[in-house]
Amino acid sequence: MSESIILSVNGMQYPVTIDQGRNLLSVIRGEVGLTGTKEGCDDCECGACMVLLDGQPVNSCSYLALQAQGREITTVEGVLNGDAMHPLQRNLLEAGGVQCGFCTPGMIMSATALLQRTPAPTEEEVRVGLSGNLCRCTGYTKIVEAVQRTAAELQGS
Amino acid sequence: MTVTTPAPNPARFIRADGPDKVTGSGRYTADLTLTGMLAAKFKYAGIAHGRITRLDTTAAKAIPGVFAVLTQADVPNVRFGPFVQDRTLFADGVVRFEAEIVAAVAAVDAATAQRAVDAIVVEYELLPVVNDPETALAADAPLVHTDWASYGASGALVRERNDASFSSIAKGDVERGMAEAAVVVRSRYDADGCHAAPIEPRAIVAQWEGDKVTIWTSTQVPYDARAGVCETLELPANRVRIIVPHLGGGFGGKCGFHFEAHIAALAKAARRPVRLLFSRREEFLAPDKRRESICYDFETGVSSDGRIVARRVTLVLDNGAYTADAGFFSQLGAMHALGPYRIPNLLAEAHLAYTNHQPSGSVRAPTAPQTCWALESHTDEVARAIGMDPVAFRQLNAVDTGLEGPTGQIYGEIGVQECIERAARMAGYGQQLPDDEAIGVAIGWWPSFAVPSGAYVKIDGDGSAQIITGAQECGTGSVMTLPQLAADELGMSAADFQLVYQDTSVAPYDMGATGSQTLFNNGRAVIAAAAQIAQQLRALAADHLEADPADIVLADGQAFVAGTPGRAVPIATLAGIAAGGELLIGHGSGMPPGPPPISGSTCVGDAGMAAWVAPQFSCHAVRVKLDRDTGVARIMHVAAAHDSGTIINPLGAEGQVQGGVLMGIGQALTEGTGYDNEAHQRTAGLLDYKLQTCADAPPIDIHFVQINTPNAGPRGAKGLAEAPNVATAAAIANAIAQLVGAPVRQLPMTAERVWDTLQEVAQNTIGGAA
Repeated sequence: MSESIILSVNGMQYPVTIDQGRNLLSVIRGEVGLTGTKEGCDDCECGACMVLLDGQPVNSCSYLALQAQGREITTVEGVLNGDAMHPLQRNLLEAGGVQCGFCTPGMIMSATALLQRTPAPTEEEVRVGLSGNLCRCTGYTKIVEAVQRTAAELQGS
Repeated sequence: MTVTTPAPNPARFIRADGPDKVTGSGRYTADLTLTGMLAAKFKYAGIAHGRITRLDTTAAKAIPGVFAVLTQADVPNVRFGPFVQDRTLFADGVVRFEAEIVAAVAAVDAATAQRAVDAIVVEYELLPVVNDPETALAADAPLVHTDWASYGASGALVRERNDASFSSIAKGDVERGMAEAAVVVRSRYDADGCHAAPIEPRAIVAQWEGDKVTIWTSTQVPYDARAGVCETLELPANRVRIIVPHLGGGFGGKCGFHFEAHIAALAKAARRPVRLLFSRREEFLAPDKRRESICYDFETGVSSDGRIVARRVTLVLDNGAYTADAGFFSQLGAMHALGPYRIPNLLAEAHLAYTNHQPSGSVRAPTAPQTCWALESHTDEVARAIGMDPVAFRQLNAVDTGLEGPTGQIYGEIGVQECIERAARMAGYGQQLPDDEAIGVAIGWWPSFAVPSGAYVKIDGDGSAQIITGAQECGTGSVMTLPQLAADELGMSAADFQLVYQDTSVAPYDMGATGSQTLFNNGRAVIAAAAQIAQQLRALAADHLEADPADIVLADGQAFVAGTPGRAVPIATLAGIAAGGELLIGHGSGMPPGPPPISGSTCVGDAGMAAWVAPQFSCHAVRVKLDRDTGVARIMHVAAAHDSGTIINPLGAEGQVQGGVLMGIGQALTEGTGYDNEAHQRTAGLLDYKLQTCADAPPIDIHFVQINTPNAGPRGAKGLAEAPNVATAAAIANAIAQLVGAPVRQLPMTAERVWDTLQEVAQNTIGGAA
């Protein structure tokens, strides 16, 4: 059965009419039209679909779109500071933490949530904080470096 | 003695596709939608071996919203395959593995397509399941392909019944060598198959306009995909355009021609664009690219002073149901089983056995990590048997500059000995360790692939430049490094160049993101194309500055007269002049270096892997901590030393090693393809097939032994993407063997298998004491 709801994504209001069983990921990609959020497994195993719901990281493949009503959804497209890259995005590139890039949006969302929760994380805290996001390219080393550099930058500012 | 060449461009490297990828604006194939687009679904066999007795699509076609249902009867009757033409697009009367495609549906949405798939009626007469590669080779084993003898095949292959490719390498007199050995060690090892498992499941979109089709696809090899579409749908190459949007990883799993023709055929029949999106389960089961399981029987004889005098080794590789690109794996596996060692007398025999499993194919360094694991575990056994330190044993027996490899190839300057020394030192080999920790060491090697490749370079009237290349970026950064090569040739900055790539209708041929070949070959092509423009610029500048073209130097965005920097003109000004006359356009390819000579060996079933161009070498030393109560191994530290020639992009090179090592850790401990008795995969999901997480990953120290290698890639570079995946699992195995007291003889070395081996060792110890 279809239902008309309003989703708030990156500060914009999107009226959508969707089947009640639709997951948040497919609605963000299909109806809202933001494809930065990826589908890697549809099983909560890979983290490529990670978004923030009121700042909390959630695998959007396994979350009903209906449940996201009235909450603020943040996707990778909402991370930019206007036209400028967020320090985390810039550090990922400068540290070499991006290869194929398919895990990157989910990784950025998990790291954003981590840095909000723990502004000065230890390496171990970064590794645990990102352990729900699988990356097959990098071996994670340079991603961890990028998050640590970002934390240091944000702490210093 | 090695010459260390400093990296030519130590400046900070930001990949050109990076901003697309960190902002979410970059499009991958699954992100594309076209007006009127339909969803595709496949009907899979669901059984491993059977003859189709009934196939009825009537009910499926009658479902509202279904636009096309295709079977083999609807496409040209073409049998294809790069080594053995043993395959058709859809099952042709017989299904030979569980994810064989029987039919394909295009419908208005995915749910309708799935309902139609479920409505297709297929009945089978079950045939005996060939579930084990070794028994598949028995004279009375059921045949996977009863018509094997009539198939077209590469002339180099030696085939017999279920053996799709037999290969042997012989040198010296192995019988006499064994007879003269002081000690002979025999070992058996079994490696399970495993998967590439890129995070992006594959996706394909096909759209026809008139008699031309455009296919957007997540492939590593666009020209190979095009060739497959042309062959199976009987189309000329200039009517098929393959475009790869950003590619979400491949690791070999997206090499080869896969499903592009199915989707093109559906789009043609439906008269609509059609999109295929794979689920994670399909990504595990359907592609003809699974790392092959291999079983090994080794026998090595050593002299009393620790020199290898003879080796005999037999390999049986699981080909799966179709040969795909595995035709050369038997010879490649044989080379890896002999290893980078000096062995005067040897015989390696390798069989590629058909089974009713998913087809094997080129996952990152095919045959190498599992064979290195088996060989290097065996090598430690041999060293122990004569009481030698494993590192000293390798230093004594490994190949070196000017020495001869197993097929009689004489090596130029190579860095394997320096790799051993460096890795051991970085790992702290020899230091006192706690009782539950040990350091294992292994050496590996891998060829560079010298193949044709092409590129164009142009500079437009405003001085901005483009590289238009056939090369494919799968994440490694190889394509992203090309602007630096062109910039250096033209005295410009890498930022002056934009890349146009991954489109078969705009750029010349390249083999794709496969065989670690992109920078090696396309780098040569880009430099050649840029050199043509450099010549044009020198002529224009000579005219402008009233000088001899031979005296013009291109640097810092300017052309100036050598020795007189004041007599200069900006390249952008020259580009403006050229825009009104002869345009600045270069094309390049360059001859790939030829294969090195070999002598003194006999190779049967020679698939071109006996001589290696610009071979790469590595040594990994890994410190492992073992919980003896549970069998759980934790990787504490990895030291990786690599000879991949000159390193052109240090940041990218480090990323390749770090990623390859972590994949190797997964292969060592958790990644294995399990089959049940009916040849169904038991591990087709990320819950059962465990990839390493960020929390699992150890610190990795890296050293590059940089040798400016002649007859190699640009500036003496070799390949690099696959080599880091070769030696890690082997080094881990040798640490675990020390901690357990015996090698774990099956890969992956899961906690359960480690624990079982611990119990066997304990029982043998008790039994021995009693």
